Amino acid sequence: MSLRSSRKIKFVDADILVIGGGFGGCGAAYESRYWGRDLKIVVAEKAHIDRSGAVAHGLSAINCYMGMQWNENQPEDFVRYARGDLMGLVREDLIYDIARHVDATVHKFEEWGLPIMKNPETGRYLREGKWQIMIHGESYKPIVAEAAKKSADVINRIMVTHLLMDGTRPNRVAGAVGFSVRDGTFYVFRAKAVINAAGGASHVFRPRSVGEGMGRTWYAPWSSASAYALLQEAGAKMIQMENRIVLARFKDGYGPVGAWFLLLKTFVTNAYGERFEASWMDEIKSMVGKYADVTPLPTCLRNHALLQEVKAGKGPILMHTQEALNTKEKEDIGWEDFLDMTIGQAVVWASQNIDPKEMPSELITSEPYVMGSHATCSGAWASGPEDCAPADYQWGYNRMTTVEGLFGAGDTIGGSAHKFSSGSFTEGRIAGKAAVKYVRDHAGNPPRVDEQQVERLRHTIFQPLETFEIGSNEIVAGSVAPGYISPLHGLQRLEKIMDEYVGGVSMFYVTSEPLLNRGLELLHMLKEDMNHVGADSLHQLQRAWELHHRVLTAEAVTRHTLFRQETRWPGYYYRADHPKLDDADWHAFTASRYDAKTGEWQMSKLPVHHIIS
Amino acid sequence: MFTTNPFIPLTDFLSPLFLQVYIVLMILAVIAGTAFDLYHKRSAQFFMQDRKHSRAAATRKLSGADMASIAARTLAHDVATFGEFCNRNRRISHVLMFYGFVLYLVTTVVMAFAYPADPGTPAAWPLLWNLGAVMVLIGGYWFFFFLRVNVVHDGQPPWRLVRADLFIVSLLASVTFALLFELVAMAENPTATRIFFGLYLLFTTLLFVSVPWSKFAHMFYKPVMAFERRVQQEDGSSDLPAAARRHQL
Amino acid sequence: MPTFVYMGRCDGCGECVNICPSDIMHIDPVYRRAFNIEPNFCWECYSCVKACPQHAIDVRGYADFNPLGHSVRVHRDTGLATVFWKIRYRDGRMKEFQFPIRTTPWGSIQSPADYAPPDMSTLGSPLLAHEPEALKVDQLPRLPTGATP
Repeated sequence: MSLRSSRKIKFVDADILVIGGGFGGCGAAYESRYWGRDLKIVVAEKAHIDRSGAVAHGLSAINCYMGMQWNENQPEDFVRYARGDLMGLVREDLIYDIARHVDATVHKFEEWGLPIMKNPETGRYLREGKWQIMIHGESYKPIVAEAAKKSADVINRIMVTHLLMDGTRPNRVAGAVGFSVRDGTFYVFRAKAVINAAGGASHVFRPRSVGEGMGRTWYAPWSSASAYALLQEAGAKMIQMENRIVLARFKDGYGPVGAWFLLLKTFVTNAYGERFEASWMDEIKSMVGKYADVTPLPTCLRNHALLQEVKAGKGPILMHTQEALNTKEKEDIGWEDFLDMTIGQAVVWASQNIDPKEMPSELITSEPYVMGSHATCSGAWASGPEDCAPADYQWGYNRMTTVEGLFGAGDTIGGSAHKFSSGSFTEGRIAGKAAVKYVRDHAGNPPRVDEQQVERLRHTIFQPLETFEIGSNEIVAGSVAPGYISPLHGLQRLEKIMDEYVGGVSMFYVTSEPLLNRGLELLHMLKEDMNHVGADSLHQLQRAWELHHRVLTAEAVTRHTLFRQETRWPGYYYRADHPKLDDADWHAFTASRYDAKTGEWQMSKLPVHHIIS
Repeated sequence: MFTTNPFIPLTDFLSPLFLQVYIVLMILAVIAGTAFDLYHKRSAQFFMQDRKHSRAAATRKLSGADMASIAARTLAHDVATFGEFCNRNRRISHVLMFYGFVLYLVTTVVMAFAYPADPGTPAAWPLLWNLGAVMVLIGGYWFFFFLRVNVVHDGQPPWRLVRADLFIVSLLASVTFALLFELVAMAENPTATRIFFGLYLLFTTLLFVSVPWSKFAHMFYKPVMAFERRVQQEDGSSDLPAAARRHQL
Repeated sequence: MPTFVYMGRCDGCGECVNICPSDIMHIDPVYRRAFNIEPNFCWECYSCVKACPQHAIDVRGYADFNPLGHSVRVHRDTGLATVFWKIRYRDGRMKEFQFPIRTTPWGSIQSPADYAPPDMSTLGSPLLAHEPEALKVDQLPRLPTGATP
């Protein structure tokens, strides 16, 4: 890996550049090819598209399927469900838009070869719960990746570090830059439209396990916040970055609980065998009022009950799996639930001699994550569907951000909660079609990359390699040098700041204005130190840029958390200085716009329109 | 011209005894190196321990006939044709290198001991010696430039040498210089012959003496491991699902 | 649970290097075989374990919370379109499972470009590819017009 200036440059020209080959990116590739038969569509993927993204292992359920063909659900009901789960603050138009299309996505998945479990009595897809269906999903990602590979040119092992802006017009995207993680080639993508379908943010808050175990995050460790940072650097408006998600999952392995609760009908108690959720309802109601009356009880409120029980010293909290696995078939489903998507939990069982047929397992709340495709919706402020979005929610192209020509799908888009895998693919499709329309509408006026920006970035991107090569001359050996930090050093500092000041697990998710302001001071110094990250290999260079993206996103999270002066989602996080939900002032989205040149942040509120009754 | 014993021109400046002694020393170096590797790294001890555990975990008792059949399959599939390699190009290049090297070594020993400085060496021996050398070079240079996994899959430039390259580089250099000293000797250039033979000696010595630090010894370990793997699949001591067995012929 | 590579089984083919979503499977410079360079960024997704043709990769659960002596091993058979699991507990209990992974042949997905080209005048409509047929209802749902905030 030559670190010298004889670095190869490769220019890739495309009509549509898709950043990220996960579910959102694969959907975008597929749909943009369908509508743009003669377009050059390129997917730039950080790892290998066959197993990249959050669905690397596979999944055991599809959590977003209406079942309209059997009259099981209608899209409006899904909007109500997601809205209730997020305590009222969602983009109902975006969710409706996904919910009305998602069935078609799932039917195509089945056609492509995804095995979906069937209910033996009705012949329909086997429901895990009202919105979820069970799948044999070990190869979910390779199957969907195959569809994307048939649709677009996929370039694997490219870390995209920055978007490129149009040199001739302000606030318009013109492509992206990055590097090959394998051979260090500098890649310049020149595109007429860009769809950011990169991953949300794991490893922003300190994880519960800090040794090797820090790898066992709930969300993929390679979700390095590129969904947000790329956009923030480009000046896109972001919303709900404070809305981090905390999951109650099987302890340490973070195995999924959905199938256990909904399909296998297990129950949870404290260490003394007592069911406890109901006993916290009065307190919960006093914090959030009518939002506690929603069925099912919102995710964050269920977390809150579990947390309170743990703080009262009644842990460990136990899920009584042994009550549910009374047939071989159920035992198979219970194990497959893990083996299809979180094999590490099976490893925990095997290593701790836990047979779920015989004994309960511990549950715990995870460290916080920032993403947009689960029971949370941080992300970009995006234009909605033309036929049903309110006037101030749309500006011409569905899923386009406030930067022209820059679209998003999956974790990238804010406000569209509960989409999961099928919904993210669907959102990719929506963005893909809109991007094709955008490219055609602007055919006579394509963007042109700012050459100076490209040249500046060419030096910036590889700077960490230089920093290490030159700086390491100061010391004999080892990881401690006065002049630079490794990406891991930076990551652990970031995670400690976020944990202690912005509401991580060591604080039981509690923060306050003084804590947040101190956190910002420390983040500021970390941002300055980011100019002194040293990478000793291309792999570490990838880690360095993942850290950059995480740090920028973490700052957004901190500023949004400071801005929202209420506790909207107890169980996700608490503002100790504003402990109650406050609809009068805060029934709104928090929004931010970052100016990369000045380092300034503009915070604002955006209205929450309810288009579904 | 490739039908004459290539070691004869060396007798201008070296007695045939030199080559014979050298060969014996190199054989001893390989034996000593392998033994040192096994003993010092304690890999033999690990292997015996591991084998004991897996025999204890066996759910099926394998008969003598079972073992013989496993040995035969290991020999035929894993050893003789390098069936372990799932990548066809790597498999072919290893077949070329291995059989080429064996041919080249055997013919070297035969010519050094049975036909020292003998102009009447039957043409077959030098021909096979050259054939073996060429096989090594074709398989080896192909492997070095186009097939090494750290170059092909891990993004490293081909000229960046790591310790794992010790074996292939010393092998290629040794055989290359052997052919070179043969060629310049045929062209009757005594100075060049001495130089290339010197380099040949240097790299050949490096090849055989570096056994404890190179991949040379894996030539011996691989068949043993292959046999052991098959036994574990057959006797039930393997942790792998039974269906994995179908994968191994 | 981070991965590790068995010395006696790895032949350095590079499949794991290709597939690892975390870019942590790389080639060791001494043996030219694979190893996990960064176990603390291993998600134990088992992508490399499944991709290895020699079953040379295995997982030892994260030392933070997994006692030794366990084994969760897999054989993913694309020919049989089945994944096979064998689990050995620390106390010696064994469990085996197998699940289907695909119902169609690998490579059989029809490219979107192989469908009849869409009517480009519908580029502005909300309908996505293969709709409304793929929805298996008559029409794409729409909110009643004039939906107001």
